[in-house]
Amino acid sequence: MDLIHPASKADLVEVVGDANADRRRLLPVGGRRHLDKGNPAEVDAELWTTQLDRLVAYEPAEMIAVVEAGMRVGELNRILSEGDQEWPADAPADATVGGVVASGASSVRRLKVGALRDTVLEAEVVTGDGRFIRSGARTVKNVTGYDLHKLVAGSLGTLAVIVQVALKVRPLPRSRRTLRFEGELDVARRVLMAVPAAAGALVTAAGVEVRLEGWAGEVEEQSHAATAAAGRALRASDDGPFPSAAPWETRPVVAEIAVPPSRLDLAIEGDAWGALAGVGLGWVGLGDSDGQLDALRERVRQAGGIAPVIRGPGGLGDEPVPAPDVHRRLKHAFDPNGVLAPGRGWGGL
Amino acid sequence: MPDVDAARRALQGALGAEEVLSDPLSLRLYARDASMLEGGCALVAFPRTLADVVACVKIAAEHRLSVVPRGAGTGLAGASTPIGDALVVVTSKMSRILQVRPHDRLAWVEPGLANLALADALRPYGFTYAPDPSSQQTSSIGGNVNTNAGGPHCLAYGVTSNHVLALDLVLSDGTVERVGSEAPESAGYDLRAVVVGSEGTLGIVAAVCVRLTPLPPAVRTMVLDFEAVEDCGATVSGIIASGVVPAALEMMDQGSVESAESFAHAGFPTDAAAVLIVEVDGTPAAVEAQALAAEDAARANRVRTVRVAADETERALIWKGRKSAFGALAQIAPDYHLHDCVVPRTRLVEVLVGLREIAARHDLILTNVFHAGDGNLHPVLSFDRRVPGTLERVLRASEEIVRLCVDAGGALSGEHGIGLEKRDFMPLVFTDEDLSAQACVRQAFDPDGRMNPRKVLPDGARCGDFAAARGSVVAEVVADLPEGAWI
Repeated sequence: MDLIHPASKADLVEVVGDANADRRRLLPVGGRRHLDKGNPAEVDAELWTTQLDRLVAYEPAEMIAVVEAGMRVGELNRILSEGDQEWPADAPADATVGGVVASGASSVRRLKVGALRDTVLEAEVVTGDGRFIRSGARTVKNVTGYDLHKLVAGSLGTLAVIVQVALKVRPLPRSRRTLRFEGELDVARRVLMAVPAAAGALVTAAGVEVRLEGWAGEVEEQSHAATAAAGRALRASDDGPFPSAAPWETRPVVAEIAVPPSRLDLAIEGDAWGALAGVGLGWVGLGDSDGQLDALRERVRQAGGIAPVIRGPGGLGDEPVPAPDVHRRLKHAFDPNGVLAPGRGWGGL
Repeated sequence: MPDVDAARRALQGALGAEEVLSDPLSLRLYARDASMLEGGCALVAFPRTLADVVACVKIAAEHRLSVVPRGAGTGLAGASTPIGDALVVVTSKMSRILQVRPHDRLAWVEPGLANLALADALRPYGFTYAPDPSSQQTSSIGGNVNTNAGGPHCLAYGVTSNHVLALDLVLSDGTVERVGSEAPESAGYDLRAVVVGSEGTLGIVAAVCVRLTPLPPAVRTMVLDFEAVEDCGATVSGIIASGVVPAALEMMDQGSVESAESFAHAGFPTDAAAVLIVEVDGTPAAVEAQALAAEDAARANRVRTVRVAADETERALIWKGRKSAFGALAQIAPDYHLHDCVVPRTRLVEVLVGLREIAARHDLILTNVFHAGDGNLHPVLSFDRRVPGTLERVLRASEEIVRLCVDAGGALSGEHGIGLEKRDFMPLVFTDEDLSAQACVRQAFDPDGRMNPRKVLPDGARCGDFAAARGSVVAEVVADLPEGAWI
């Protein structure tokens, strides 16, 4: 397997253009943290974006940071913390921004911070046939043409290689607190009725962990409201990470489920899982056997959702894509020779 | 050649005779949206169901008519202005709320439902629909989706795209597809995200699944006024830099304050150079902390007075003043042209100065009401079209305004869209290859180019033709439109 490390955007354009001419298949790679998500793709070379790691622009009063795709999430958040801001990816520090965006990863604080794809305001990408394309703008609002940058987010490197993004960032919360309660999803839902603007309510087999973030007095008020709704908190911590533990991580295979929030109960099973109440995201740790994954996917399908594997083998699953002709035409328009991670995406694209 | 008579008979058969209009007056009525651009159409249809929408699209395809989707007709960029042999599909009779599911934090609605009607219906559940364009009393959710509509409260809550989970979309061949999902993630490319803001060019939105936003437990609305526009602009940056993201941060200049005040009597100080409306929400402590920080930023920038809305009535009055500012401008001159552009918020003040210079140079009256927190400007040129030469001056000034905003690092539109009005400005912000890639997206959805043709992208933009995506100039577009189309 060849490893290609372009040192500049211009290099990368050339590499992809050449690969397109030679029909050499490429797998765009960032920090390798999200590579397991996607169907197996047979490629001739890995295209590393890690040398494209410059900070292009950051002005705290704009709440926008422009970075190259290979910037590590930890480094970005270190820079942003100097402006008391963050990009709320909640991804490993050595994951790259491009990898997080391309893989469609979610924040555990999605209830409060929204979908990460919504933070992508502008992108520069290189299509499979070596065209350098920019979409979006460095403004928080923008209705200027089709949002190609949103199409590329979550496309698993199958449409274009992301080389730079402008991200909407947010102020760091002044205060944080994690409360732990006994109970299951119903307890988490009660808490969210009382504290709808919580940052997260994660349910695991061990109980409910509620994350509160905001102004100091606000977190105090939310703590009272959460406790009134769910009973006395077992434990409160002001500095700890959220979640404090991720039981699914102990298993060889992890599937990320996404269902309508009220149907999480139908999807979750076993003992190594976590579910975000009010959001509908969850992570389920599985053994190596295909049978467990198949059974999970069947339950999730019944609940109206999907369950791609994000660690270990298993791929995305065979959930059909909507408007398959539109999907095929998009793939063909952006990667006519199928050199970018062929077959890795949903629907075998 | 399109067979309009046959298409009319087929539509009458499918939808009922009363749901199809073809008389000259109706065709004239639906030949434009709320922009200055007037076109022309062949037929107007009012579907009541998803099946009706499918019938409209199929009949149009069969008889070679293009399809122009239309909601409430409040669009300001000409996206719903039909051109040539078009069937205008008006969704105003599809206005039901289909489901409200608080536990999933979602609701399904039909596209013709008015934005405010949705927000009102959600309130008893403790939720709202966050995007609140100034047109919210009349503008429809389907139209909001197609323009990725904003509004004052998008600063903290995000634009329409952030609040749309899924869409039932009728493609140009009549197939119905659900893009997006009730679940937070779905299989495939994020087609939902491209359809939002696509101005009716990718398909007809026949149902919308919106995300519900919890109503904040407390809200505080403040009116700050300044003797210098620069101080007001610096306060905007100061508030954001202090770590506060207000629910809304709206700026009005003296001209717009005067006109709004004479209409709404909201108590805005008419002698101030600029007025800033700051709204913060959250828990009571969050409101207190944010209000204090905002006041500190304002005091550091020589605020004259800080007025806090004492109750819900006063708060509503302040918003009435803000949201009626455009309508009230009619008192200044008989005609106005409302612009929409976005600049980085740290460059607001210099752009404001530039705008004043442009207006002065062309001898036009300029007022400004805008979403300062987002850097989203709405400069308004007021004029009297009966004065010879005025229109030409307005057009020249308009082009200069667009260039000023682009040169400041901004975008062509923050929330009104490109439509017909700005499509030929697209090459100012995108390369030929960028536009070609966008044309590919459009072609992927609508290979025959039947959906709302000639909108958004300049005529030259073609998928796969990377060298020749050159826009025609505004004058040529105008030449293509019927006589008197501008204003």
